[in-house]
Amino acid sequence: MPNLRPVRLFRAISIRLLFGALSLLFISLVTFVAEAMQPGDIVTALAGEKASEEVKMRMRHEMGLDQPWPVRYVKYVSDAAHGDFGKSYQGTHQPVSEILAQTVPVTAGLAAMAILLASSVGIMLGTLSAVYANRAPDRAILSFSTLGVTLPNFVLAPILVLCFAVYKDWFAITWSVGGAFLDPYYLTLPVIVLAARPTALLTRLTRASMVETLQQEFIRTAVAKGVSQSGVIVKHALRNAILPVVTAIGTSFGVLLTGSFVVETAFVIPGLGQKTIFAITQGDTAVIQACILVTGAAFVGLNLIVDLILPLLDPRIRESQV
Amino acid sequence: MVKRRIDPLLAVGLTFLILLILFAVFGPSLRAAQLRTDGKTIDAVLDPISHSHSKPGGNAPLGTDEIGRDIVSRLAAGARASLFVGLVVQSLSLLVGIAVGSLGALAPRWISVPLMRFTDGMFAFPDILLALLIIGVIGPGLFPVIVALSITAWPSVARLVQGQVASLKDREFVVAAKATGAPIGYLVIKHILPQLWGILLAVSMIDLAGTILAESTLSFLGIGVQAPTPSWGSMINTARGSMNSYPLELIWPCVTLSLTIFALNFVGDGLRALVDPKG
Repeated sequence: MPNLRPVRLFRAISIRLLFGALSLLFISLVTFVAEAMQPGDIVTALAGEKASEEVKMRMRHEMGLDQPWPVRYVKYVSDAAHGDFGKSYQGTHQPVSEILAQTVPVTAGLAAMAILLASSVGIMLGTLSAVYANRAPDRAILSFSTLGVTLPNFVLAPILVLCFAVYKDWFAITWSVGGAFLDPYYLTLPVIVLAARPTALLTRLTRASMVETLQQEFIRTAVAKGVSQSGVIVKHALRNAILPVVTAIGTSFGVLLTGSFVVETAFVIPGLGQKTIFAITQGDTAVIQACILVTGAAFVGLNLIVDLILPLLDPRIRESQV
Repeated sequence: MVKRRIDPLLAVGLTFLILLILFAVFGPSLRAAQLRTDGKTIDAVLDPISHSHSKPGGNAPLGTDEIGRDIVSRLAAGARASLFVGLVVQSLSLLVGIAVGSLGALAPRWISVPLMRFTDGMFAFPDILLALLIIGVIGPGLFPVIVALSITAWPSVARLVQGQVASLKDREFVVAAKATGAPIGYLVIKHILPQLWGILLAVSMIDLAGTILAESTLSFLGIGVQAPTPSWGSMINTARGSMNSYPLELIWPCVTLSLTIFALNFVGDGLRALVDPKG
């Protein structure tokens, strides 16, 4: 028998990549159609009401707007792949790629901190909850996580600001413009608000997965063999229970996305989310399009990475794919 | 039949929702009647009734906002906006979701497979991005919010219906009805859907919470329901500006919104437990 495993593994990875590419294609198509459906004339918006027909015709030609739409779509995708998203319709007509370069690192940094906080606290609380299942600590953690899932983040943000930034001056009310990015005085509240919902979701999921794992035979065997309680929980149970949680960390990037729009607006943080909302109120389609495209691509990319990491963590998934 | 104990949370949630609907429907006009002075009619939601930021008490039980408008009336009007958006979006999403889900379970494979793949794609795509894109194209406002949230809401219903119909379609009573020559549409409406109303109602309640949350999020961001029409989200956003001095104006809409979300989740969970005691 020839060894088919590497071939099959390669096929499994290719299928994942293909799905990722299809999702990207879908997002680019949706954003492209959105621009095409935009009411009003882009050239008039850019050149101004008083521009002559001749100037407008030339601009339309330069921007490729006189081409049929399949040609425009291909140009749109290839430009975007090269980092060219056109120019903002508003203000100084700043290139959109510059706007992205300024805002993406801020949002990505916040999201990374929030997801780190959410996964570490979520996995810890969920494990604790499962170990003390149906006892007082479990009930406390569960009510806490129900609150975290249900309470909207735009309610949580002002309430926390009121308590900890207005009544007590522990943290800043809004972001510092000077860019003290790693100062907990500015960072703590936004990251907590952003992490609240993912933390609660991951807590619930870890608990459910751990409760199920702790009832398995191999746990009883480990206990019977005399493995210490912490050893059983961390080495035997958590390692097996963590897999659905890793998948959920991937999907919770979606929750984080929604959160970043709210948190950046609430704390006046100059990130991608705030920029998107501002562009929408200004009707700045080029910026809206690029922001949505980049955020969507990041979401697809991160989920793809999680999908590819999962088989490394779990031989069972590796086997089932191969 | 065994008489089941009513879940207390379900009862609390239902009571709250009924009161909220009454408040939304009658609140503004009742307040207008109360506030009418010497024959002059007043719009309790939009007209100032007192000086700005007045304390709770007197003719404004919860005080007034930054331009002296009655907060009780504005909360009621906010409930009206949220419930209206929620009900319209959920009805549309049920309609589309049931149609797509039934087709996904019963239509020939060349229709059902691409249809359900498309549904899965829409389901996986983050709702907020699609909603923002749609609002970015047609501009902010109540109608764009309804369009955007309807387009993002139906896939979860379609997936649920598809799964349920697929598991029901081979059961004896459906096969028997098919054997009598019942056409497929009749089969779905008369035999299959009646089995699903319970679970659909329960899920709709939880989805309704999501829709109301999304509506107030968009309004909080300033791209949902537009001023002067109040929404809980925009009330929270405005009240943040003066929360140092007038924190109560922030608390009222926060509490109303949070209680509504809690109530809808209680009702949804309670109904699901009633419909499907095993799950």
